[in-house]
Amino acid sequence: MSWALHRVDDRLIHGQVVVAWGHHLRPRRIWVVDDASAASDWERDLLADAAPGVEVKVVAVAEGIRIHSEEAAAEGPALLLVRDLRTALALVEGGATVAVLNLGGLHYAPGRTKVNDYLYLDAEDRARCRRLLELGVKLEVQDVPAARSRSLLEVDPEIARA
Amino acid sequence: MNRVPALLVMHSDLGQALLRAAAAVYGPVEGIEVLSNDGLSREALERQIAGKVEGWTHGGLLLTDFWGGSCHVCGVSATRGHGDIVVVTGLNLPTLLDYLHNRDQYGSLELADRLQKKGRESIRLHHGQPV
Repeated sequence: MSWALHRVDDRLIHGQVVVAWGHHLRPRRIWVVDDASAASDWERDLLADAAPGVEVKVVAVAEGIRIHSEEAAAEGPALLLVRDLRTALALVEGGATVAVLNLGGLHYAPGRTKVNDYLYLDAEDRARCRRLLELGVKLEVQDVPAARSRSLLEVDPEIARA
Repeated sequence: MNRVPALLVMHSDLGQALLRAAAAVYGPVEGIEVLSNDGLSREALERQIAGKVEGWTHGGLLLTDFWGGSCHVCGVSATRGHGDIVVVTGLNLPTLLDYLHNRDQYGSLELADRLQKKGRESIRLHHGQPV
């Protein structure tokens, strides 16, 4: 039952996750896999407080890989959040089984080009996306559950061109 | 008493809309800045908030919409270490009006407590009467 959503979102825990996905999936646990956040007691506490009523676990990538299959067999739905595609690819290459990766929020930064209002990718991001596709991960673009989910291949012609 | 400064950090154009609504009741409003989280990553929003509160040497209030949203989370991160800046979530029009009426009478910590109470009191139920 466990994994209900694997999501790339540079805001990590925020309104769309807590309110929209939280209401839709009713997660028991949210795993934030992020080396920087896991290294800071203060950041871990902040993220834990941001989702009232849900157990929030903040772990480094190595720990995220270690717990992934164990959590997959756990009771109740769980969400996994990473802030970037580098971390998502590290998880999958490290052995995490991810069938579908939700691309929910990578906002503008210099060097990135627009895919839609909440998804901007640079050349390295696109290379990571291609690698994830090669590894059998479906890449779905969707910010909130009420929006239509679309394949990245459909909305970003640059991915298919390479 | 120094005036307590405030920054509205909210989703979409809610901050601007609340300020317009407040002006319709209170009169012209000055001295409040507004920031939307639209299109901003966590780092970018934190940077923008930090830039706005940089000069708040006597504290201030970050007025945000809901607990757990990026406006709240980034507000807490950006104001870390500023003991007299308080992040207030769940802002509504009565709370904003109360801030405007009292920002010259209280310090930031006392004013934040007052706004929390005002916000809670402002949500009331008025049931319809049976015919």
